[in-house]
Amino acid sequence: MTVPYEKIPFAGTVPSPQKENEGMITGNWRTRRPILDAEKCTSCQLCWISCPDSSINLGSETSSLTFNLKYCKGCGICNEVCPVGAISLVPELDFED
Amino acid sequence: MLEEIKSIKKAPVEEYYVPGHRTCAGCGPALQYRLVAKAAGPNTIFLGPTGCMYVANTSYACGPWATPWMHTQITNGGAVASGVEAAFKAMIRKHKTDAEFPNIIVMAGDGGTSDIGIQALSAAFYRGHNILFICYDNESYANTGIQASPMTPYGAWTTFTPAGPVVPEGKKLMPKDITKIMAHGHPELKYLATASLSYPIDLMNKVRKGLNANGPAFLYIHAPCPKGWSFPADKTVEIGKLAVETGMIQLYELIDGEYKLTYKPTKYKPITEYIKYQGRFSHLQPEHIEKLQQFANQRLKEVGVEVEAPTITT
Amino acid sequence: MGVKKRMSGCVATANAIRLADVDVICSYPIRPYTGIMSELARMVADGELDAEFVLGEGEHGQLSVVYGAAAAGARAFTGSSGVGVMYAMELYSPISGERLPLQMCIADRTLDPPGDFGSEQTDAMCCRDQGWIQGWASTPQEALDISLMYYRIGEDPRVLLPQYACQDGYFVSHILGEVDVPTQAEVKAFLPPYKNHHVLDVKNPMIIGAQIEPQMGPGLQYQRYLAVEGSRKVIEEVHEEFADIFGRKYDPWIEEYMTEGAETVIFIQGGHAETGKTVVRRLRNLGEKVGLVRLRTIRPFPTQQVRECLSRFKAVGVIDNSVSFGIACSAGILLTEVRAAIYDMGDKVKTVGFVAGLGGEMITHDEFYKVFKKLKEVVKTGRVDKESYWLPFEL
Repeated sequence: MTVPYEKIPFAGTVPSPQKENEGMITGNWRTRRPILDAEKCTSCQLCWISCPDSSINLGSETSSLTFNLKYCKGCGICNEVCPVGAISLVPELDFED
Repeated sequence: MLEEIKSIKKAPVEEYYVPGHRTCAGCGPALQYRLVAKAAGPNTIFLGPTGCMYVANTSYACGPWATPWMHTQITNGGAVASGVEAAFKAMIRKHKTDAEFPNIIVMAGDGGTSDIGIQALSAAFYRGHNILFICYDNESYANTGIQASPMTPYGAWTTFTPAGPVVPEGKKLMPKDITKIMAHGHPELKYLATASLSYPIDLMNKVRKGLNANGPAFLYIHAPCPKGWSFPADKTVEIGKLAVETGMIQLYELIDGEYKLTYKPTKYKPITEYIKYQGRFSHLQPEHIEKLQQFANQRLKEVGVEVEAPTITT
Repeated sequence: MGVKKRMSGCVATANAIRLADVDVICSYPIRPYTGIMSELARMVADGELDAEFVLGEGEHGQLSVVYGAAAAGARAFTGSSGVGVMYAMELYSPISGERLPLQMCIADRTLDPPGDFGSEQTDAMCCRDQGWIQGWASTPQEALDISLMYYRIGEDPRVLLPQYACQDGYFVSHILGEVDVPTQAEVKAFLPPYKNHHVLDVKNPMIIGAQIEPQMGPGLQYQRYLAVEGSRKVIEEVHEEFADIFGRKYDPWIEEYMTEGAETVIFIQGGHAETGKTVVRRLRNLGEKVGLVRLRTIRPFPTQQVRECLSRFKAVGVIDNSVSFGIACSAGILLTEVRAAIYDMGDKVKTVGFVAGLGGEMITHDEFYKVFKKLKEVVKTGRVDKESYWLPFEL
């Protein structure tokens, strides 16, 4: 369906996003979901720095890191780079959501 | 001046390349883009020549940069950046803006750097504009479906260099070394280095050094491409490491006219350790692999590393 | 009222750019427009103009540099001639589609092959589809004036489009004419600072030029179409304002010369009109009912104004100082555009196309006389037996 011209911003320019680009939600690409074993995690942050989709949220003193499942594509780099095997990849179909 | 990042744990937490882009799962260029944006910070303007890092990131009518970003043609990243830089210089001097002079970064692929974009890049560096030109090297024209670029390695399969009885090696030509081309003959050059997404702190610090250089800075970033090179999406960082550990890629800076390695493996592995994981090399015969090994040895020699050709185990 | 001096079209244009306080200029040498850049370089070196004078690597690079500069919020200027104009072709649509009101001066020149430094309007005419404001100056004074007006028109928030300020190579760009150079104060009153809806600004970050799906394509083109059509009103307003401030009144669309009571007229664009005017004067003295209509703005094409004007005459000789091989009616671009504009008048106004002055040759008095003679014959017989003539070979 052709987009009405009044609905298109001036010359197609859009504001830059602040925290996430909802124009391209990619969580539904996943066939495998990363799962963290918090006991094993040493907070080295190697997985965080290696995620092409900026989809690992750092933990804190009290909480472990989390995965941004709205965008995570399930590429599995985090699983590969983790030096202690704290991340495993579980088939996406195993999950309800 | 941007400060040196001491470790992964001390790396800035803020993201300027946010989640939400249509790049392949495990995309190497996307990862390096995130690291570059992280290192550069908010006072940054990106210019994006056409390529994967344009099309895949801005599909559709949106984008993941928290900073200003503009599209350029694949031909003219260097020229458009020159114009942006000249504009800020003029507007600041003439008090037509109260903006601070921004980081101006061109994020060009290997085609937009060494092939169709080389004229604009060279001219920008000749003129001495205060810009950082980054070549993200996924070793092909990836966005159009993996075609050979001047930086595609010898022996790589691409849709323009398929292997067949007439051309058993696939790509016959050795690649251009754009970093060395830029290193010599541009008197205004202020900083030049190579980096890899598998060495993120080194990469981010080189970005910062380039931005601090107050003149033209060139940064080559090796960015493995799972789709183009035919390896599983989770191996991107590992493939990048193997490239460095086999000597196919060298991490160095140009300091006072000399190449200084910033990382050197204790012992170089044979290049077979690198190419065996990549489908694009699967057709190579021993004589082709030997040629590729010679190529790696030659590149190492050029940055002052003499290696004995490791034995090729078939 | 400024200072009156004799100067070439190149120097006149450079003075306009100086008065417009342009911020970024990108140069590259090619005859015959180079003189504009040399003069600007001198002005910058002598402190008469504060601008970044960027030494471009080629015409494609020139347009790319000013594209970046305009996107960053600076007033930018560049120019070229001949094949250089063609080399930059890739940039014309992006610049107009991104709504960046930079200005390019084209001192026209024939295209290769082979090398020929002579004037011909083909180079700039090839760009007419790209969504830029475009018109030809026929004197150095007009060259200065249109450069100032075009920035004002292009930067108007209702327009935001780039402009081709064209002038005939050598005939206008190099031959001296008397030019009243305005004062800086007058120009400041006429031309406000450049502002745009989107600029590269870290305080207000935007993504300019993201990839789209086809479904957004028609809408984006339509926006640009509306901007070009909407510029008509602005072009008229700006010409009024210009007349008020600088005292020189131009019709925004067409200049009529001795057309009262004319039966046949020449329709022509650019500097060759000056030669045509001399011939019109002489024929008028002999009692011939002739006149000349000069097209000042070709984009947007003044369809309504051309229709109304030409409907008063019996035959129009459309002079094309450019080539368009294989075009409908086998003459040139202006003939087809004029015929399209006056289509509804059917057979009432006869039009004949004359391709002339190619390669840098003058259109001679003799050729103009022959054109009027042919038009007179067309009025007498009521027929157009041949609709196109390539001068000087045919006719």
